[in-house]
Amino acid sequence: MAIPQGDSRWALSPEDLKRLSKEAKNFKGESLWSDAWRRLRRNRTAFLALVFLAAFGGISLIAPFLPLPSPIALSLRDEAAPPQWMWEEPESLPKPPAAGTGMTAWTANLWNDGWRHRTMLSVAVRDEAAAESARARIEEVAGRKSAIELRGAEAVSEDGLSKVAYVSVPLLRTDTPDVIPGETDIRGNVTAWRYDAAIPEASPIPGEPPLEVEPDWRVVHSLELKAPDGTPFDPAQISTWSIDQRTRKVELFLARQDPVPGIGSWIVRYQLDRAISGPVVTVRVNGQLLAGSKPIVESNPQDAQIVDARLFEGIEHDDIGRQLARSFEADPVPGARFLEARHESGYWPFKGLVGRFDDLLLHARVHVFGLWQTGNWMGTDSQGRDLMSRIVWGSRTSIIVGLIASLCSLLIGVLYGAFSGLMGGRIDNLMMRIVDVLYSIPFIFVVIFLITVVNEYRTELEDNFGIDREKIFFLVIGAIYWLTMARVVRGQVLSLKNTEFVEAARVIGASTTRILLAHIVPNVLSIVIVYLTLTIPAVMLFEAFLSFLGLGIEPPKVSWGLLAVDGTSAINPLKIYWWLVVFPSLAMGTTLLALNVLGDGLRDALDPKLRGKS
Amino acid sequence: MLRFLLRRFLWFGITIMTVMTVSFFLMHSVKGGPFDGERKLDPVIEANIKARYHLDWPLWRQYLHYVGPFNLDDNRALFAEDSDGDLQPWRSSNPAGQEVKAFGGVFAGDFGPSFRYKDFTVNEILAESLPISMLLGTLSMMFALALGISAGIASALRPGSGIDLSLRLAATAGIALPNFVIASFLIILFVFMIPLLPVAGWGTIQHMLLPGFCLGLVFAAYIARLTRTGMLETLSADYIRTAHAKGLSPRTVVLRHALKGGLLPVVSYLGPATAGILTGSLVIEKIFFIPGTGSHFINAATNRDYTLAMGVTILFTVLVYTLNTLVDMAYTLLDPRISLEDE
Amino acid sequence: MSTPMLEVTDLHKHFPIGTKGLLGKPARWLHAVDGVSFSLERGETLGLVGESGCGKSTTARAIIGLYPPTSGSVKFEGQEISHLTRSERAPFRRRIQMIFQDPYASLDPRQTVASILAEPLKIHRLAKPRERKLRAMQLLDAVGLNPRHIHRFPHEFSGGQRQRIGVARALSLEPDLIICDEPVSALDVSIQAQVVNLLEELQERFGLSYLFIAHDLAVVRHICDRVAVMYLGKVVEIAERDELFGNPQHPYTKALMSAVPHPDPRVERTRERIVLEGDVPSPLDPPSGCRFHPRCIERHKVAGDLCSTVEPQLDTRSACHLTATATAAASI
Repeated sequence: MAIPQGDSRWALSPEDLKRLSKEAKNFKGESLWSDAWRRLRRNRTAFLALVFLAAFGGISLIAPFLPLPSPIALSLRDEAAPPQWMWEEPESLPKPPAAGTGMTAWTANLWNDGWRHRTMLSVAVRDEAAAESARARIEEVAGRKSAIELRGAEAVSEDGLSKVAYVSVPLLRTDTPDVIPGETDIRGNVTAWRYDAAIPEASPIPGEPPLEVEPDWRVVHSLELKAPDGTPFDPAQISTWSIDQRTRKVELFLARQDPVPGIGSWIVRYQLDRAISGPVVTVRVNGQLLAGSKPIVESNPQDAQIVDARLFEGIEHDDIGRQLARSFEADPVPGARFLEARHESGYWPFKGLVGRFDDLLLHARVHVFGLWQTGNWMGTDSQGRDLMSRIVWGSRTSIIVGLIASLCSLLIGVLYGAFSGLMGGRIDNLMMRIVDVLYSIPFIFVVIFLITVVNEYRTELEDNFGIDREKIFFLVIGAIYWLTMARVVRGQVLSLKNTEFVEAARVIGASTTRILLAHIVPNVLSIVIVYLTLTIPAVMLFEAFLSFLGLGIEPPKVSWGLLAVDGTSAINPLKIYWWLVVFPSLAMGTTLLALNVLGDGLRDALDPKLRGKS
Repeated sequence: MLRFLLRRFLWFGITIMTVMTVSFFLMHSVKGGPFDGERKLDPVIEANIKARYHLDWPLWRQYLHYVGPFNLDDNRALFAEDSDGDLQPWRSSNPAGQEVKAFGGVFAGDFGPSFRYKDFTVNEILAESLPISMLLGTLSMMFALALGISAGIASALRPGSGIDLSLRLAATAGIALPNFVIASFLIILFVFMIPLLPVAGWGTIQHMLLPGFCLGLVFAAYIARLTRTGMLETLSADYIRTAHAKGLSPRTVVLRHALKGGLLPVVSYLGPATAGILTGSLVIEKIFFIPGTGSHFINAATNRDYTLAMGVTILFTVLVYTLNTLVDMAYTLLDPRISLEDE
Repeated sequence: MSTPMLEVTDLHKHFPIGTKGLLGKPARWLHAVDGVSFSLERGETLGLVGESGCGKSTTARAIIGLYPPTSGSVKFEGQEISHLTRSERAPFRRRIQMIFQDPYASLDPRQTVASILAEPLKIHRLAKPRERKLRAMQLLDAVGLNPRHIHRFPHEFSGGQRQRIGVARALSLEPDLIICDEPVSALDVSIQAQVVNLLEELQERFGLSYLFIAHDLAVVRHICDRVAVMYLGKVVEIAERDELFGNPQHPYTKALMSAVPHPDPRVERTRERIVLEGDVPSPLDPPSGCRFHPRCIERHKVAGDLCSTVEPQLDTRSACHLTATATAAASI
């Protein structure tokens, strides 16, 4: 028997090589993932769930881009408005003059963040009756309805007007120029048309070139410096100015506003050659730092104390406000004196709701949709906040909570489980016994207790460590839900560790890392993915549960749990606000259902033993 | 069995001690105290309040007193103004004329006074509210078992049929929907649209129906799933085929033979389900205004009534732990293949 | 043939069982392999037979380095390989490969056949990525499977086909020695013959040597050149196949042989069977002296308590006091 020796015995004969190469071209392989994907697609319910989740996730991700009303802005509504369908004329408070479709070009939220497209008038008044007559005058001149809010001023002026009425008049597209992207380079989220009725001639700062005030509107930033007790504020005290280097061309001027006690203020303006948001402005009064980008106010005992410095950004514009000012000048309303008119249009960022990415989306929204936004297609809640917008923005919170907390649990669970499984023996025994013990604690009680205790420290945590309630929330939820994950992973690792294919890998010379990454991880991964898709709805449910109890997400943030609270609290025998229950429940129910269905579908799809069967 | 119980008991002790110690020190490390934030109190009153709740003691002593088993409260100090207007402690071993107990603290079953309900001890509040929660919990558990098992059997008997599919979908929906959503719908439906049931409160059987249903629904869905899987597995087993071959009626086969094996997963689920029902009762009691332990707990947690919150937490931990142990023992009795020593 | 291809000398493998105290010493040791010696020539097939739990598989795993041996030496072509580190062992990995017992557990369920077969090449950087697929196809071809199936998953194959994939994986590194750890005992009898024939065919084609572990004597008789019989962690007899099957020396071998049924029913009816008394003693606490003595039926032939006190050494053929005295007597 001639035994072939050396490596030649393994060589492929040319004919074989040719045959196999030809053969190899005829078919293509399919990886485990593409196969799983194919089978998931064939599972109709699971695929439907996936499509739904992708669509819904996409919508909630780009929520700032969508032309939705503000989810948090309050209107003066005292009762929830039923849904107005897209084809209906939008009913709002106050009623807009022109009939529209389901889309509105302005917003009913007159006092808070979100779309503002309004002229805000400040009128010093004596009492409510005077305020109402001022409002009537305003509605007459402007030719449309307005909303009013009366606030007490800090001090009584010489003419005895102790209150300020803020009257909000909705602007129409015909009143103001459109936001023209590119030309004006206006950041959609911080745009205001500002008009001050009683600004005297601008007085240039000594040494600075005079500002050429263009007849039309332009981008200005204004820094409002306020004296607390109405003491006339001497601009000579302002010693130094500086604006950060991002601004190439700076022109400054001071304008003295008609000093009404408690309201009167100095407006420091600077014109920019382009609009930038939040430039660092430093103002020094008598050598002392007065205002920075985040206005810093320091008291100076010798001088008038400056208590408030606010940054405005906007475009000067001559319109309705000036008409109103003239009207009040020519024919004074008894017991009322016109103070200021300000035009505001643009998207005000929601405090605490948006980040950097959302800022970009808001910008894009203004570019694409301009001023248009949807009507209240799903109705409003009792404070006039648009329900559809709240559901979309709430889904953002819920989905983010679900994802992050699940990932937390995944991280802890996988590490713990894998470590326990790999170590085996006594350590494994002890670690799993701890899990058993934790399992038998009614954790939610402990967690609620913990959250309340931690709440006592929230200011310290937030200031010193930057840990806000949400982060605590993620940690706490992650810390509960890792238990099952740890068990599952540990069981898998334990059984995989001793299988022959791991031994086989070792025999062919695979390193421990390779065995871990190429053999153990893929085998554990599918079950981890499946478990993850089942943890996410559980966590979202838990978030809703805690928010429902008032221990989770807090206003002004929106979450589905908070919407559910609104829904249940709106249930009363007098009037059923069905939309407040039905729409949030539908959104929550379908999402959670879809996640559960997808989890089940993934479990089937990722099991290679079922390959080709469904 | 004895070894198993002993080991369980040991771990139980460790668990309870950990929960208790951690929450005690967390609670006492909170700056200020439970009585801060209200209007400024008269120093005498404040001192007396502090003395009443032993907040003037060093922390270790408060802890020992809270945990027990010995009552350290035998020389309660009260403060009074002396002639100069200064605060002077005066001692009385028996200030209120009450009998001073030798034993106290959690180990003696005493959770101390409530910080909010000033005239009540935590024990009194629990004694009042626990039966209500227990009744609600038992009711919903019974409901969950009845509905879940029958739905599970129904869908396991005809897998793939329309009944099976719709029941499975309903079960998934039941698991996915939060119980407060279901509760809202049911209240609208059965209280306002078809006025059959009272909206809230507690007392009559009508009051219990809706909360019991809402609370049990999620667990009914889980039990239905488990029953279905278990029954499907059992029904395909050889001994069931043998039973059919013997000529037993299908009814007998399912109820006498298959059910025993098919329900095993359900038994092991009872432990987690109990914990879940206790949790769910927090929300349900809030929605239906039921004066149970759950609503007291939520009030306590939001009102800084730490003794009450801790009392409920510890009580429920004991409850769940005991029930889990019982379930594990029941499981071994039902399934001779499982031994407690093996774990 | 100066140096044998594989030489195992006095190989021991003990496993710790249970521990006392937190970091205490193992309470007891399981003597899975307790002084095994044999050698294997190039191109030869050495059978390793014995009951379950006698340490066959542990011997195989100790040789290939899955378990570090407690003591003893394993030499491959004269080079000591028993205590090498992973990187030092790499060149020998290519030369010695293994086929596992359970075709269902020895293939990663989440790898395609292509990646199972390409993995060894990837680890040892033997082929370019593009060639690996062709190589995998060639290997499948060589073990009698359709090369088109390289993108299938293991569960899509039958047990016999899976074992062929296992063989192909062992072949992928072009080894000289393949340790077959009961490669056919998990398979149906009809499939067993196919796999055994495949192994023989491959041996002829590629000049392989096999260490063939089995408890099925018929298979061993068919494929092996020489056979070693193990009992309780020790080799009790080692001989040429025909010699061992025709003329067993050790009482345990005799008992083992007598358990093989004869195909002729008439012979089978009259055949005398040696039935061993009792169970195999626990390897935790092996008997003193000759490990087989509590169950040995020929023990009375040895005078005194030699069997229960003195452990017989393996001479060229068997480890038994009886044969030792016989040879001693013959030499006198």
